[in-house]
Amino acid sequence: MLPLYLLNSIKGEPIMVELKRGDTMNGVLTNCDSWMNITLKDVVVSDAHGENFYKVKDIYIKGIHIKYITMSNELIDKFREEQNREKEHYHHHLNNNYNNNNNGGFQRRGGGYR
Amino acid sequence: MSNTSEEDLYLQSYAFTTAAAIIGSVDRKVIVTLWDGRTLVGVLRTFDQFANLVIHDGVERIYLLDKKQYAESSKPQTYLIRGENVVMMGELDIDKEDEPLEGLERIEFKDAQKIWKSRCQEAIDKNTEESTIFHDNGIFGAACTLY
Repeated sequence: MLPLYLLNSIKGEPIMVELKRGDTMNGVLTNCDSWMNITLKDVVVSDAHGENFYKVKDIYIKGIHIKYITMSNELIDKFREEQNREKEHYHHHLNNNYNNNNNGGFQRRGGGYR
Repeated sequence: MSNTSEEDLYLQSYAFTTAAAIIGSVDRKVIVTLWDGRTLVGVLRTFDQFANLVIHDGVERIYLLDKKQYAESSKPQTYLIRGENVVMMGELDIDKEDEPLEGLERIEFKDAQKIWKSRCQEAIDKNTEESTIFHDNGIFGAACTLY
């Protein structure tokens, strides 16, 4: 739901990061933290003028230097679907727990030993 | 409704903050201006206390009003914008949002980008020139605007 939560959920997806300076980095998001520091892999870096391109295997970007991050439009839909599934799963899980506790009680009363 | 309870939750925590004002624009079309002068248009999906924004179906729009032209980037993307880079964000009235564009000619995004970049560079050069003159005359901290 929160922007950083979304960032966390798209690990493994290709994204484009633009820094405040104007440099752009296209790569796969491997990790991120609550300060928006991120690590990317298989990155193509280019400067603000778009003149030079560098291929870098791993890169660490400090969050404070980021202007924005761009990702595919479908990722949000995927993210929302997962959220809804998790919500349903959570409610289902709660109901199951309730039932299991009841059964557990029964078993204890029924037998003498385990 | 889950939407109302989310709002209430936000308003309880952020009653007197700017972030509380943003919640009214969620799931609506917004226009965002960034610090570097760019304009993004899209649907605001989520935000946080730093005003980091997630814009869905976002396109970058370049206005060249003196030439009566505008351009939009071709492929809509999802933007996660770091809050400190945002100058302003405003809700768009979807019934009226196309009105300003009617008098303008739509051109290729790449062409508009070139013109935009050259103007930025001109402004930077002019600023450097002016700053040098100011500095030579003992005036420091002169500012310049892009437009």
